[in-house]
Order: sequence, then structure tokens, then C-alpha cells
Amino acid sequence: MLVVLALAVVFVFHVFLPLWHTDLWGHLSFGRFIHSTGSLPATEPLMPLSEGVAFVDTAWLCQLLGFLTIKTFGHVGIQFLYAAGVTLCAAVLAWRAWQRTRGAPFVLLAMVLFLWVGWQYLAIVRPQLAGLACFVTLFALLTARRWSNVNWIAVPVLFALWANLHGSFLVGLAMLGAFCVGRGCDVLRRTDRFAAVIGDRDFRRYLLLTELAAVAVLVNPYGIGLYASVFSISANANLTDIVEWEPMTLRMKHGQAAAIVALVLVLLYRVSPRRVRVAEILLLAGLGGAACWTSRMIIWWAPIAAYFVGLHGSAAWKRAARRKSPSVNLLQPRLLWTGISALVVVFAVSAKFFEPALQGQGQGSRASLNRSRLSPVTPVEAVKHLRKFPPTGQVFNSYEWGDYLLWAGPPRASVFVASHAHLVPREVWQSYMQVMNLSTNWDDTLARFGVNTILIEKQRRRGLVARLDADDNWQMTYEDDLAVVYRRIVPIGAP
Amino acid sequence: MFKESTRTQARSKWGGFLAVQVIVLAGVAASWGVLSSETRQTVRNAGGGRRAAVPIEFDEPLRIEPLYDDPQVVSDEELAAVLAKVRPKFPQERRRPNFVEHALRTWGVDAEFSDPDVMSGIEMRDFLIDHGQFVASWGKKTPALLQPGEGGISIRWGKQPGASVHHDHLLASLSEAGISRNQRVYAMGRRGATFDSILQQALLDVRLDEKEVEWSAMAFALWLPPQKNWTTADGRAMSFDLLAKRLIRGHGRFGVCSGTHRVYSLMLLARIDEMMRTSGDKKAADGLLSDAVLVDVYDHLASVRDLISVSQFDDGSWPGNWYDGAEAVDFPTDEEPYKKVIATGHHLEWLAIAPESLHPPREQIRKAAKWIIQATLEQSDESLRKRYTFYSHVGNALALWRKTHPADFWKKHQAEHAASSNE
Repeated sequence: MLVVLALAVVFVFHVFLPLWHTDLWGHLSFGRFIHSTGSLPATEPLMPLSEGVAFVDTAWLCQLLGFLTIKTFGHVGIQFLYAAGVTLCAAVLAWRAWQRTRGAPFVLLAMVLFLWVGWQYLAIVRPQLAGLACFVTLFALLTARRWSNVNWIAVPVLFALWANLHGSFLVGLAMLGAFCVGRGCDVLRRTDRFAAVIGDRDFRRYLLLTELAAVAVLVNPYGIGLYASVFSISANANLTDIVEWEPMTLRMKHGQAAAIVALVLVLLYRVSPRRVRVAEILLLAGLGGAACWTSRMIIWWAPIAAYFVGLHGSAAWKRAARRKSPSVNLLQPRLLWTGISALVVVFAVSAKFFEPALQGQGQGSRASLNRSRLSPVTPVEAVKHLRKFPPTGQVFNSYEWGDYLLWAGPPRASVFVASHAHLVPREVWQSYMQVMNLSTNWDDTLARFGVNTILIEKQRRRGLVARLDADDNWQMTYEDDLAVVYRRIVPIGAP
Repeated sequence: MFKESTRTQARSKWGGFLAVQVIVLAGVAASWGVLSSETRQTVRNAGGGRRAAVPIEFDEPLRIEPLYDDPQVVSDEELAAVLAKVRPKFPQERRRPNFVEHALRTWGVDAEFSDPDVMSGIEMRDFLIDHGQFVASWGKKTPALLQPGEGGISIRWGKQPGASVHHDHLLASLSEAGISRNQRVYAMGRRGATFDSILQQALLDVRLDEKEVEWSAMAFALWLPPQKNWTTADGRAMSFDLLAKRLIRGHGRFGVCSGTHRVYSLMLLARIDEMMRTSGDKKAADGLLSDAVLVDVYDHLASVRDLISVSQFDDGSWPGNWYDGAEAVDFPTDEEPYKKVIATGHHLEWLAIAPESLHPPREQIRKAAKWIIQATLEQSDESLRKRYTFYSHVGNALALWRKTHPADFWKKHQAEHAASSNE
């Protein structure tokens, strides 16, 4: 009951979160493109400066589903999908933790730790969430007490879906590999014979499952080319300038959370009576190492670490208490009804939220309502200004706002960069950084690209704002608390 | 009974294993089979495979013929005098590739001179494509001009000693000079290479947003048609549309030689587009550029025409900041004489291959020519040697205005001169 209520809280909390101002809008823009053209773009289709750059759309299905959702239900639909996605991840993790521990406090602990450590990335609405749902589902299948033959179908199907939803399927393959190698190491440690490893049924199962999953990934529009593309994305030099691709440090909030959870895990391993499997260590060390390498990998470490904290915490607690936790059957009528009642409460609480989508509203109030559904750092009014007075020539924009500009900006606006940084040509990205850092000849760079309009954050880019204010070539044409728009007084390329 | 059961289990175990291997192999094979050739190439490249060469139909580059023979722009005597000044007379030691490139594009491979101190077209060509000759001039310590690359031979360019100064300038100069694609190239550690090796490497190496694409665009346009698209080493789908848009992009002051090379390259693309559309060849019927980009190119060139129409000084020269239009006359920048030589010589060059609709009034062109002829003839040999690259354009531009090429004119002039001397 407690767990169900906690999941309800998770859902309600996330459904009321405003939509993040970065990646989401770029993905929806790609979804809109796919929907309108009926095909996947072979090269970057939205930013003129990226024209011709090869584009393997690893999240095409998410983008299309996202676009259809927002087209049908508006922003509320995306918020629902987002909240459902996070809740699904938490629920699957909780379900598996419950089955293994039968202790609600530890299930709750696992959920809380998962959300806490992963929060920085969970807060961003993007296809990665679908990948995370696949990841947690796979983890749940692999950590079941007993092997199920359903896995022979479920895992390949999961991977076929995953490969079309998000490029993170590689993490899933790595997890399967970790289970396979881990099992092999466990058997070898026990028997000291390689032949025993080969003869071990579970080892073979993991091996074959990994192979089947790897081949199931090929069921995507790019076939085997998807593998090459996913590897090349993470190797893109532009990403080194983006915080989430930087190594995780203790100065980052999720770095602090991860450090605390890692410390707790170390202590628990000291006192837990449970046998520690090699796969567990491989997963924790492998994904933890990956997160140290690039902080966005923490999202994959979070559920694994949280689960094992719950698992070993429960075992240690039980030993300490020397009593067995009462077994609870989820399908007991009393519990079932309690769960259903909790869900009713959730929807009752959320009814106010879904009202506009269910009943329809006037345009004005819908607009103000929609504004409240967007994160406060979304440049809604500045982009409206650009729609009203469309820019001529190239626009220079902060990369965080490029996606929203693509989505809501004037049609055919030449957006400089957006959050799909790997699709931005290296020289264009370097030029972007040069201007943002006010490096030598930053103003020449703007002229070289024929930039006539600039949209940037007012506070965060104070240095650039001050320089533009002092420059006779530029005039501020829009300003609010969040954003400023400048236009070149004598536009480049104007007749 | 027990043995039979164990055997059955083993058979089932290995049967399952083999079945999965078959599924995996079939899956990979099917996936590979349905891939497009581009995606296959991408996968091969990701695996370190060698890229396929860009198909090129012809062994000789296209040639852009001049359109006008106007003795009022430049007379025979004036042209002969200017060409005599810009003959390629370079020292054997530390011979600068950039100078040889400029001389070669002006004079062509067929150029011959009676003066043994002047390099012939063949000598200039060989200096640029034979590592042995480069070593003879620069010694073994200077890094080679021709560098073996992944897809062919790349050219060392930049400001270092013995380097070609601009990216793909060597390629474009040899192409404009009429080199054959099968011409042997002698690079260290690369046997059997031809000029095609340089071209293919350049096609891979080009980056749309690098500082200068003027020469890449020119060279590729002289070789590739009717092919219009290819893929670069970083997987970018490249086209002449993209190159043209890049050449149009940004303020007019950017680009080498006060932005004038961008204009020349755009004019060359437009001319080749026209040649293709009117060739009668079905494969070339769509031209080099899309209709929309072609319109943009002509609009841009028309805007350059308008700017130079109002930015000319009274003496006929154009200022370095010609792109400022009428303001440039009152507020010229950097008006060292050679800046005016650059702007005036280069504008005369692109105008010589441009349709009349893109010309300022002919009187302005004649005035410009008169100024630059005088400015060139006034130069001492030493001063001209220092700034040879700028003056080489003058020689080429003036020859084009007589609907000829410097080598052809010089040959004829030498013959006539010899005949009159004999008389």
C-alpha cells in the first residue's frame, strides 16, 4: 500500500512539473518533420548550418509518438507521458525490489534513491526516458528469481523496440554482457573449470540472449548502421563542451548523491549476508565508471545502485532483526482494492490538471495555461516577438534555446545551434563557443556567418549583452526578465 | 536409458545454440543486404574501411572561356607589357609554391618562354607535383608539400615555409591550368599516384565551414560535373549548392583578397551551371546548382555589381572595401596601393567571365583597366616579385578581356616580335 501510494506521489509530482526548455522541443521538431514528410531525414533537416550533416535518428519513434501526443492532447499529453515514464521506471524497480525483499521500507528506499541520484537527468523530458524504461524492464527480467522462457521472446522484442526509441540500447547490451560474464566468473570461481562455465545453463542463456538482443536491434530503419552511428555520437568533439557530457564531480548535485549512495553500498556490502554476484559488481563498477567518465551515464547507474541498496539493506536489516519479514501477496483482495483506491485518488488529484485537455478551453486561457506548463526559463515571449517580426538571415541563439526556437519560432528561421550538438559541424560549434565566450573576433564571427538577429539569455550571458549594448552595429529590439533580442542595424545580405 | 537421455539433452543444448547462431548470422546478413550503398559506406568507414573514390567522368578539367574581346579595355601593346612583367621568374632556392601556383593558373601548363630564367608551364607543374623538385628547392628538412593521406595525397598548406598558403589553392591552380587527371604525381611513400589522388583527397577533406572554400569550390566544379554530390570524410553530404550558399554567406569583407575570390568562384559555378544546362547532355541538363540557389547566386553577383558600380575611385581603381559601396569612396580602408591592385585586378578577372548583365557600365571597366595597367607597369621588378600573386591576376584578367589566355597571347606576341626583329 505504502509503495503504491509512493508511486502515486511520484506520478502526481512529475505530472505537474513544467516541461523542460531544451531537448524536448528539438525532438518534437524532428517528430513534426517525420510526420509531415512521412520519412526519416537522411541529413539534419532543421538547421541550415548543419545541412548535409549525416543524421541517424536514433529516437525517431519517440519523436513521432511525442509529436502525435502533443498534436492530439497538447502540452498536457507530453506531461502525462513524462510522468507515466518516470512512474513506470520507479514501479518496475519497486516491483522487482519488492519481490526480492518483501520489505516496503527498502522498496521505498530504492525508489527514493533512484529518483534522487537520477534527478538531474530525469527532470529533462526526452527520449532517454523511454530508454530508461527499457533498461529497468530488462534489469527486472534478468534479476527475477527464476528464469522464464518468456525471456526468449520478451528480451529481443524489448531490444527491437528500444533500438527505435533511443540509442541507449547499447547500455542494455552491456548489461546483458555483464550478466553473462558475471555468471561465467561465478561458475569459474566455484568450480575452477572453464568447461563448467561452457556447460552452465545460465551462462549459455545469457550468452544467447545477448546475441539475440544484439540481432533484434537490427530491426530499425538503419539496420546495422545504427551501431556505427551510436558509437560515433558519443565520440563527437562538440559534446565535450556540454556539461552533461563532462566527467561527474562532487561539485555536481548528482555527483554528491552518487557518492553518498556508493558509500552506503560499500557499508552494506560489509554487513549484508547476501551472496554478491560478479554481475552485480560489474554493473555497479562499469556503469559507475562510465558515469565518472561522462556524468550523463549516472542515469543508468541510479536504478542499479538503488536496487542493490534496497536488496542488501533489507538482507542486513533482516539479519540484524533476526526475524523474517511477513510475506505479502500483492494479489490479496484487500491490497488490490487499496491499490485501486490509491490510483483513483491519484486521478482525482490530477483531474484539475487534465481538465483542459478533456474539456477544451478558450484560446487565451489555454495560452496562459500552456505557459505555466513550460519551464520558467523557456523564452516564450521572446520567440513570440521573433514570430511577429521574423528575422532575416542567420539567427544566433544560445544552444539551450535552439530547440524551442525550432519548435515555436518563425518558420524557416535559421537557428544557429540546438541541443543535438553532434549534428552541428565542428567549425560552427567552435564559432558558437567563440561568440559565447567573447573570444577574440567574436563580432567578426557573427558577421562571417551573416548573423542579423541574436536571441540570448539576459542574465546568464551578461557579458555578451553588455558588448552588444555598446556596439553601434546592434540594436536591442526585445527585452524581458529572461531574454533579449538584438538585431543588426544594417543587415548583412539585405538588398 | 540414461546415456540416451544425456545425449538427447546435449543435442538439444547444442541445437539451440546453433539455431541462435543461424538467427544472428541471418539477421546480420539481411540487415546488411537491405542497407543503402551510402549507409554501407558509413558502416565500412566506422570499421576503418577505405572510402570509395568519387566517380569522375572526364580526364581533363572544364575550361571557362572568356567572353569579350575589347581592345579599349586593354590594347595588344599594353597586354604584352603587363604579361612581360608577370612572367614566372622565380629563384631556384626556396621557391614559394604559392607564387608558382599563381603563375601556373595564369600561364597554364602549355606556357613556353624564350628566356631560360623563366619557368615554363611544364616546369611549374612539375615543381608542384614532384617531391624531388620540391626537395631540390627547399632541402630535405622542410616538410614535404605533398603529404600521403588516407584517401590519396593531401597538400601541406598554411603559413609555414614551403607550404601552399591556401587550402586547395594548389589543386585549383593546377585544374585551371588544364592538368590531366592521369598526370603522374611523385609524392614521398606513394607510388603510382596521379593528380586524381590529390583531387580525391581534397574531396574528402573539404569542410564547408572552414575559413576558405573558394578554391575547393572552383576545383571541384572544374572536375566533377555532371556529378553534383559527394560525401566528405566526416560523412557530410556535400553539394555545389552548399558550396555556393557558403560562398554567399556573411559579410562581403570576408574571404581572401578582400572577398573577391568568393565572387570569382561564384561566377565560375554559375558559368559551369550554364555550360551544363546548354550542353545537350541529359545527365547535365539540371545544371550544377539547383534553380533556387542559382537565383541566389545571380542575385548576389548583381549586388556585387551594384556595389562596385558606386565604389570606384575617380582614377578607375576600386578600394579594398568595395563592399561598402558608395561609402567606400569617402571612407576607404587600408588604402595601401597594393590593396587597390588586389580589388581592381580581381574584379576585372571575374567580370571577364561574367555576362554583361552583371557588369557595371563598360566605361568603368575600361577606367579600371587603364589604372591597373599603369599601376603594374610602374612597379619595379623587385616590388612586383614581392607581390607577384596580386599582379598575376592582373595579367590573367587583362588577357581574358582580349578573349585569350596569357600563354596563347604571349606565344603569338613572341612570334610576331621575332618576325619583326628579323625584318
